[in-house]
Amino acid sequence: MQVARFINSFLLVEIVKGMALTLKYMFFVPRATLNYPHEKGPISPRFRGEHALRRYPNGEERCIACKLCEAICPALAITIEAEPRDDGSRRTTRYDIDMTKCIYCGLCQEACPVDAIVEGPNFEYAVETREELFYNKDKLLENGDRWEAQIAANIAADSRYR
Amino acid sequence: MMTDLWDFLMIIWAHPVTAKLLHISILSGVVLGAVAYLTYAERKILSAMQRRQGPMTVGPLGLLQPIADGIKLLSKETIIPTQANRPVFLLAPVLTFTLALLAWAVIPVDAGLVLADINVGILYLFAVSSMGVYGVIMAGWASNSRYAFLGGLRSASQMVSYEVSMGLIIVTVLLCTGTLNLGEIVLADRPLWMQVLLFPMLIVFLISILAETNRAPFDLPEGESELSGGFMVEYSSMSYALFFLGEYANMILMSAMTTILFLGGWLPPFGIEALAVVPGVVWFMLKVCLILFVFIWSRASFPRYRYDQLMRLGWKVFLPLTLLWVVLVAGVLIGMDALPVESRF
Amino acid sequence: MPKLTINGTEIEVAPGTSILQAAESLGYEIPRFCYHDRLSVPGNCRMCLVEVEGAPKPVASCAMAAGEGMIVHTDTDRVRRARQNVMEFLLINHPLDCPICDQGGECDLQDQAVAYGYDRSRYRESKRAVPNKNIGPLIKTIMTRCIQCTRCVRFGEEIAGVTELGLLHRGEDVEIGTFVEKAVSTELSGNMIDICPVGALTSAPYAYKARPWELRKTQSIDISDAAGSNIRIDSRGNEVLRILPRLHEGINEEWISDKARFCYDGVSRGRLDTPWLRDEPGAKLRPVSWEEALTFVAGRLRKIRAKDMAALAGDLADLESVVALKDLMTQLGTPHLDCRMDGARFDPSSRANYLFNTTIAGLERADCILLVGTNPRWESTMINARIRKAWRQKKGALPVGLIGEEADLTYPVEHIGETAAALKEIIGGKHPFAKKMKAAQNPVLIVGSAVFAREDHGAIAHLLGELARKYDIIRDGWNGMNMLHGAAGRTGALDVGFVPQAPDARGMAEIIEGTRSGAVKALYLLGTDEFNARADIGWQCFVVYQGHHGDHAAMRADVILPGAAWTEQDGTYVNVEGRPQFARQAVSPPGEAKENWKIIRALAERLNIRLPYDTSAHISARIAADWPHLAKWDVLPDHTEIGAWDLKGEKGDLSGGVLASPVRNYYMTNPLCRASEIMARCHAAFPKGRDADSGSEDKTEQEAAE
Repeated sequence: MQVARFINSFLLVEIVKGMALTLKYMFFVPRATLNYPHEKGPISPRFRGEHALRRYPNGEERCIACKLCEAICPALAITIEAEPRDDGSRRTTRYDIDMTKCIYCGLCQEACPVDAIVEGPNFEYAVETREELFYNKDKLLENGDRWEAQIAANIAADSRYR
Repeated sequence: MMTDLWDFLMIIWAHPVTAKLLHISILSGVVLGAVAYLTYAERKILSAMQRRQGPMTVGPLGLLQPIADGIKLLSKETIIPTQANRPVFLLAPVLTFTLALLAWAVIPVDAGLVLADINVGILYLFAVSSMGVYGVIMAGWASNSRYAFLGGLRSASQMVSYEVSMGLIIVTVLLCTGTLNLGEIVLADRPLWMQVLLFPMLIVFLISILAETNRAPFDLPEGESELSGGFMVEYSSMSYALFFLGEYANMILMSAMTTILFLGGWLPPFGIEALAVVPGVVWFMLKVCLILFVFIWSRASFPRYRYDQLMRLGWKVFLPLTLLWVVLVAGVLIGMDALPVESRF
Repeated sequence: MPKLTINGTEIEVAPGTSILQAAESLGYEIPRFCYHDRLSVPGNCRMCLVEVEGAPKPVASCAMAAGEGMIVHTDTDRVRRARQNVMEFLLINHPLDCPICDQGGECDLQDQAVAYGYDRSRYRESKRAVPNKNIGPLIKTIMTRCIQCTRCVRFGEEIAGVTELGLLHRGEDVEIGTFVEKAVSTELSGNMIDICPVGALTSAPYAYKARPWELRKTQSIDISDAAGSNIRIDSRGNEVLRILPRLHEGINEEWISDKARFCYDGVSRGRLDTPWLRDEPGAKLRPVSWEEALTFVAGRLRKIRAKDMAALAGDLADLESVVALKDLMTQLGTPHLDCRMDGARFDPSSRANYLFNTTIAGLERADCILLVGTNPRWESTMINARIRKAWRQKKGALPVGLIGEEADLTYPVEHIGETAAALKEIIGGKHPFAKKMKAAQNPVLIVGSAVFAREDHGAIAHLLGELARKYDIIRDGWNGMNMLHGAAGRTGALDVGFVPQAPDARGMAEIIEGTRSGAVKALYLLGTDEFNARADIGWQCFVVYQGHHGDHAAMRADVILPGAAWTEQDGTYVNVEGRPQFARQAVSPPGEAKENWKIIRALAERLNIRLPYDTSAHISARIAADWPHLAKWDVLPDHTEIGAWDLKGEKGDLSGGVLASPVRNYYMTNPLCRASEIMARCHAAFPKGRDADSGSEDKTEQEAAE
C-alpha cells in the first residue's frame, strides 16, 4: 500500500484525474448559466419579486387599510396610515414599503384579504440610491398598473392550490 | 502617400538604433496585447470549466472586455494609503512591470529573431525573473498594512524556495545542451532518451513556475480569501494595473522559458519537418499558449495549498528530487558519452 | 348561601349570584355578548350556555341564579356544540368585513368566534343589511354588524339615563335605532363604543386611524374634570390617537365622559411650541430661543420687588409644576399666589373644607343628596353617574335636592330654589325636602366651589355650617359635606398651599385688580386660561405665561414659555376626593416645549435661586417630604388626619342671584377642549349648558370666573 501510494503521488495520478475532470467539464458539460440580460430563466407564478398594489378592473384601489400586512411583516418594512376617504370608505393615506428592510417572505400577500398587496414577477428594479427603494403608495400603485396582467395571470394560475 | 510611409518604415528598419527601438516596441506591444487577452482567456476558460459563460457583454462574446477593464482601471483614482512609504509604494509595481518586460530581451521567438542574442541568456533570464520578488516584497512592506505585509512575506519565501529547484532543473537542461544561449538551447540535439529523461523535470518545472508566478494553487501571497489580495491589497487604479500586467507578463515569460527549455522553442513539434512550413513564431506562440492553458487549467482544478504544504513541497520534495536528477542526468550523459561538445564555445 | 358545584369544584355564593358570576369567580371563562357586569341581564345572546345536571337543555348562565346543589359543567361536548351553534346563528347576519372594521383586533365576536365557533360557515344565502343610523358626531354606526345584544340600549337607559336608543321591529327585522333620527345626547355616549361587543358602534373621530396592536398604551389620569377618572392613552409615534377608560371602582368604574375621551385632538392643535417674547408692551410677539426668553424674564423680574409680583396656577397645572412655582415664589418672597381660577375665597386651611369628603364610591351609601350651586352632570360627569347609580340601586328612593339653576341631571331632582335663600328654607325645616333630610341616615351635601366666588360667600358658608349641624351631615364615620371643583389641578394646588401666603396677601381677584391699579407689576401665569387675560390684566403689568395652548392668556403675555400638555409629561393630579394619582407621559412635547416644572427650575437658575431638584425623582421626593400624603398614589386621605370640616363664615346678608354652575358649555371648559375639533363638533351637535346659544365663550367664561 505504501508503495502504491508513493507511486501514485509521484506519478501525480490524482492531479491528472482532477485536471481530466475540469477538462471534461470544459468540453462536454453544457453551461449552467444564462446570458442574463438577454436570456432569462423561467419564473414560477409564486415568484416573490417587487411589490405592487393592485386595483380592481374599474380602477378602484383594492387596499382597504386593514393593516394586516403591516402587522404580519416580520421585517417591519410596511408603514400604513389610514383615514376615511371623502366617500367614507376606509383607505390608506400612506402606504410605504421600505424595500431595503423587506425580506421578500411574501407574508404580506398571504395576509391580504383583498389581494391588494402582491409580490409581482418583477425582479429588475435595481436603483442607484437608497431613497428610491423607499416605495410609497404612488410607486406601488404604479407597479400594480404596470404588472397587472401578469400578476392576475399568476394569481389565477396559483388559485387551484389555495 | 503610401510610398512615403513605406520609405519611412524602411529608413527606420535600416538604422540599427531605430530598428532596435521598433523591435522593442513591437515586442512590448505584443506582450501587453497578449497579457490583455490572457486575462480574457483565463476568464473564459475558468468559466467554461465551471459551467459558466464568462464575459459576454462587452463586444461579441465579450471580446472587448480586456479593453474595457483597462479603461476602467486607468480612469480610477490612485489611492495611496496615508501610512504608506510613498516612493517604495509607487516603485514596487513599476519594478514588477519593468522586470517582466525586461526579460523578453533574450527570448528568441524564431531562429535569430531575438532582441539580444547573448551567450548567458538563460542566466539573464533566471536573474531577471528572480528579481520579481523584490517588487512583491516592496509592495508588501511599503503598503504598511498587515495583509500586504503577510502577502509579501509569503511571496518572498515562496519564490526563493522554488527558485532553488528551478535552478537545478535548468542545470539538468544545460547539462544536456551544453550552452547558456537560449537560441542554441533550442537548437541543441535531443535524442528521444534525453527527452524522456528530461520529462519529469518538465513537470517539476511547470509546478515550480506556478509557484514562482504566484499562481493558483500557489497563490498564497494574494490569497483573496484569507489576505483579501495580499501584497496588492492597498493598490488601486494604474499601480494595480501595473502589478496585474507584470504578473501576467511573467506568466507568459515563464511559459516562453518552458517552451525554450523543454518544448523546442520555435521548432515544429516532434521534429516533423513537414510542419516547418508554418512559421516558427506561430509554433512558438502555440506552445506558449499550451503552457498558459495549463496555468489556467490548474487554477480551475486545484484548491490553494496550505503554506506549510507549499514549503514542504519545495524543500522536501522538489529540492531532493531535482538534485537527484542532476546527478542522474549527469551520470547518464557521462555513461552514454553524450556530453555536449566543448568546442562549440 | 347556595352551594353549587362547577366543573367539579364546590363553591358557595351569595344568594342571587348567577351561575356565570359563580363560574367567573372560580376562573372559568364563559363567553358572552349581552351580559355586562354593570348592566341588567337580558339573556338574549345565548352565548353563555352551560350544562346543569338535571336540566333538559343547556341554560343561559348569565340569567340563571345559582341554586343549592346545582352541578354545572361549562366545558362539555354538549356545551361546546351549543355555543358553536349559537355562534353560527350570530354569524349568519354578521358581515365578514373584519378587515375594514375598527373593532378588528379587539372584537369580542372575533375573539369568541375563534375560541368557541366553527372554523367554517355553512350559510350560503344572502345576508341582511341594516341602514346605518346617524346618532351624533362621536359614534359611528355600521348597523349591519349589530348582533342585537342591546348593551347600548341598556347602557343608555341604566347608566346614562337617556332612552333614545331602542330595539325596533321583531325577529329577522330587529334593529337598534333611535325612533326618530337624533343624536344620542349624553355626555357618556363614548362608553357605548366600549361596551359594544362588535363593530356596530365605533368611535367616529378614531375611524380607520389605527389598529389596537399598533398603539402604545399609557396609563394616565383624565384632566377634563376634577374627578380624576383613570384613563389609558393610546398613542402611535408621537400622536395620541384615542383615550379609553381604565377600571377604577373608586372613581369612574369603567366609564369616562365624552370630554375625557375625545378632547385628545386638542393636544395637537393650537399648541405653543416655541418661546415667544414681546419686547415692550404693544409690540408683536416674536419667536425666540429658550435662552433668550428665560434671560429676558429673569432680567425683568430682578427689577421688580417681590411684593409686586404675583403668580397664578391654572386649572390643568400638575402638582409638580405647582410645587416648583410655589418654591420659586416663596424664595423670591412674594405672598401673592392663588390657584382658584374661579375666584373662590373659602378657607383652605383644613383639607376637609375643600375635599369631596364622602368620596365618590361613598355616594352609593348616601340616602339623601342636596346639591348647592352645582350641576354635577356638567362639572363632574363621573360623580353624576355615581349619583345616578346610587339612585338606581335604591330603586328611585334617593331624594336629590337642588338649590341653584334647574337642570336635567338624568335622575329626578327636587328643585328647591334658585338662590341661596332656599338654604334658609331647608334650615328652617318647613320645606318638604328638609323632612327627607331629617330622616336620612347618610345625608350628603355637595356644594360647587364657584359658590364661594360670590360676594356673599361668607354668609353662604355660615348657612352651610348651620345646615351641617342641623341635619348631622357630619358625624362619626360619615362626612357628607363635599365641595365639588371643576379643575383637575385645583385640589393638588390647594393641598400644597398655592393660596395667598399671608392674611393680607392678594387672592385671584385682587391680583387681577392689582395688575390694573399697578400694584402688581409682574404676573406669572402657569397655564391659566380661565379668565379673559387680554381684557382683565392691566397693560403695564409684565406677564409671563407658561402653558401649552395659545388660548386667552398667551395673547396677553409678554413672554410665553411653552410647556407640555398632560399627555406629554409625568405629573401628579389630586382628584376631588384628595386622592393623588399619577399620569404618565404618553408622547413627547411638540417643538421646543418642555416639561412644566423643568421650565420653572430653569428660570429659577437664572434668578440665582437653586431649586433643590434636578430629576423627576427629586421633585417627587420634594413633594413626599412636605406632603407625604400626596406621594401615596391612589390612596384616599385618612379623614381622621385631614382635619374637620370647618368652613368659617360670618352671618351676613345674602346678595341674591342664582347660584349658577360655572360650566356654561360642557364641551368648552378648558384650553384643550377649546382647541379640539371633536369638541367643536360636539358643541355644534349638542348645545349643552344653559347659555350655549347666548354670547361668546369669552364672556361666559368671564362670568363664571367672577
